[in-house]
Amino acid sequence: MKPTAVLLALLAGILAGCAESITKQEFAPNMYEDHPLTILVLPPINKSTAADAKEYYTTTVAEPLTNMGYYVFPMEVVNEVLKQEGMFDTETMFNVPPQKFKEYFGADAVMYVTILEWNTTYLVTSGSVNVKIACELKSTTTGEVLWFYDDRVSVSTTGESGGQTGLAGLLVQVATTAIKTAATDYVPLASRANQTILFAMPFGKYHKEYEKDRGMKIEKKKQPTAEQGKK
Amino acid sequence: MKYPIFILSTVLLFLIGCVPPGQAFFWGDYSSTLYSYKKTPDEKTLAAHKESLLLIITESPKKKLPVPPGVYAEYGYMLVLEGKEAEGLGYLDKELSLYPESGVFIARFKQAYQKKGGS
Repeated sequence: MKPTAVLLALLAGILAGCAESITKQEFAPNMYEDHPLTILVLPPINKSTAADAKEYYTTTVAEPLTNMGYYVFPMEVVNEVLKQEGMFDTETMFNVPPQKFKEYFGADAVMYVTILEWNTTYLVTSGSVNVKIACELKSTTTGEVLWFYDDRVSVSTTGESGGQTGLAGLLVQVATTAIKTAATDYVPLASRANQTILFAMPFGKYHKEYEKDRGMKIEKKKQPTAEQGKK
Repeated sequence: MKYPIFILSTVLLFLIGCVPPGQAFFWGDYSSTLYSYKKTPDEKTLAAHKESLLLIITESPKKKLPVPPGVYAEYGYMLVLEGKEAEGLGYLDKELSLYPESGVFIARFKQAYQKKGGS
């Protein structure tokens, strides 16, 4: 019985390591009914104080979303077509019935994104991005919400010190972070934030685990407390 | 001995459940170059982003991966903007043949482009 005890302990350890969870099927049953393949991400509404938030979001969403297995319309080209159709304003787009986007683009689902907070921090030796995003994926067939996310995400990075220790190492680290912060350093962080958000989505047709992830556990998000909810 | 095997398979199932999703596509520096271009649209950032798109197109087959959704279309769109219409529309057709679900979108783009004054 000894191997059993070891295995049980191992199992318990793994279970303890996982946060409170829910299956993807339980979280997003409509996704498995609707089977969207093509997703149109509309330009987000930016309610945060960061002027760059919209660009950070839109330039980093295609990669994780396609890697989840979906066909994502290229936003640069989509914007051009929307302009030609007379839709310049994001608020206007949000009021267009989702079904219209099936007609316009052949989209199976539309992603509506509102950026509530977008805070980038620079702490000498590390950079971090703390965001609060609310998004809804709606079916263009039924108009129903297929999947949603409404929570905070926080990702950070520390400059690599290149194996050096002591003051010299710290100086290298400071220099690395400073250089990164100067240009497009927040892009990888924004990308990781998007990845974190989208990971809770069921896989699409181009993912090898498509239709096999119904029982996959995802972290059950706690409702933000009143304290956290305050701006 | 059946019992430990059952537990072992359960453990394995949990482990599989925790593995992050595999990369289905190669995106290179797409996000960074697009961000730079959107932030400061000029010849230099545009050229860098185009190079980024072209790299995805040439590198994906080497990695035995399909070119990601939208990349052919975006590259084609940029060529069209530059006035390289035939070449650009050729890339839009590549998008269509690789991803037939883009059909309505590609047709809509071509229609919008004609409306704008292209031939």
